Amino acid sequence: MNGISNALNGLYDISGVEVGQHFYWQIAGFQVHAQVLITSWVVIAILLGSAVIAVRNPQTIPTAGQNFFEYVLEFIRDVSKTQIGEEYGPWVPFIGTMFLFIFVSNWSGALLPWKIIQLPRGELAAPTNDINTTVALALLTSVAYFYAGLSKKGLGYFSKYIQPTPILLPINILEDFTKPLSLSFRLFGNILADELVVVVLVSLVPSVVPIPVMFLGLFKNGIQALIFATLAAAYIGESMEGHH
Amino acid sequence: MASMIMASSKPVISIAASSSFFSKPKLKQIPQLSLPKLPSPKFLKTQQIPSLSSTTLKSISLFTVTTLSFAPPSLAAEIEKAALFDFNLTLPIMMVQFLFLMFALDKVYFTPLGKFMDERDAAIKEKLASVKDTSEEVKQLEEQAAAIMRAARAEIAAALNKMKKETQLEVEEKLAEGRKKVEVELQEALANLENQKEETIKSLDSQIAALSQDIVKKVLPL
Repeated sequence: MNGISNALNGLYDISGVEVGQHFYWQIAGFQVHAQVLITSWVVIAILLGSAVIAVRNPQTIPTAGQNFFEYVLEFIRDVSKTQIGEEYGPWVPFIGTMFLFIFVSNWSGALLPWKIIQLPRGELAAPTNDINTTVALALLTSVAYFYAGLSKKGLGYFSKYIQPTPILLPINILEDFTKPLSLSFRLFGNILADELVVVVLVSLVPSVVPIPVMFLGLFKNGIQALIFATLAAAYIGESMEGHH
Repeated sequence: MASMIMASSKPVISIAASSSFFSKPKLKQIPQLSLPKLPSPKFLKTQQIPSLSSTTLKSISLFTVTTLSFAPPSLAAEIEKAALFDFNLTLPIMMVQFLFLMFALDKVYFTPLGKFMDERDAAIKEKLASVKDTSEEVKQLEEQAAAIMRAARAEIAAALNKMKKETQLEVEEKLAEGRKKVEVELQEALANLENQKEETIKSLDSQIAALSQDIVKKVLPL
């Protein structure tokens, strides 16, 4: 009996995810979550490396890699154009980086074998698994749409708060807080829940059964990246559009 | 991880237990005290729900708060370790990293490839437009060719007509000549025939006289 429970504990230790456990580094007296930084560096390296290799020498008739990156760029342009409108050009890098970073982060959590690398505490997972990352991205989105509105309309941007009637002023102000909140928690909750579901299923039924859930997780991860980028573009477009 | 899940599920179980503990006596009380004359089960069920929501929930929530605050020390340590909403310097670092990634990707990916794609689009459109122009040219050339062909055909037809007329004239002349020759020869031949006829008639006349004398001599025995 004791042996069995020991073996089970060992299995749990192998398959376990350590929720809310962080590997801390001290930087100038402040604590940082090292596991998030390490995985985000890997994601950034993947993105930059693949982009450099694929786009280094563009051909008129694209090679396979260049073709893929052209497809991604057209997809991002399409998303930004639908949400922002004709003046989408300057926002393509922001929306595109948002989409690519979140997408590669999410998929890296599901596909890269992070668990091979052992940390003293906590474990490596998708960078979007940490609330700091998602809040950082959501706050940048807020800054972006404020910048977009202010640079387009100047101080007249703030007149949108009393439209259509001044009664809606509190709700309009509240929206500026709910937008980043919903953006960040949606992404954080989805990615964390996905990893938890997979881990719990693996610990309960170690074979076959978790596989469909893993595929569902991959699908959901992509959808979350698309949702985040699309909403960011929609917010920017909303603050840029002319009021009546 | 498994221990975490087990630990986190502990208060949930205690909540469920507490709710059943608190709600059971009230559920028994209500049908007995307030509504003894209506024992229909449907009405009882509808009556149970507001009773649960109004009074017992407050006590449940109070109970859960107390159980969470007076959790056993091991559980408290686990919860303290599980810092899900642990904001620190990671947040601004991620912001800076994102901005860096944005500028870097813009430099190596979005701007150059976008520019390249736009230029290629423009070049293809230009080529397509130029292809349309040459099609007009081709039409003009085709019309020219058709006109040249028409002119050539007309020329050839004229030449043919001329040749036909000339040859016809020649043929008619030769025919007339041939007829004249034939007529002349015919008349000559007719004249010859006449002569021969007269000659043979003359010779026959002389022979006739001799023959008739012979016949007379033979018939009339002297």
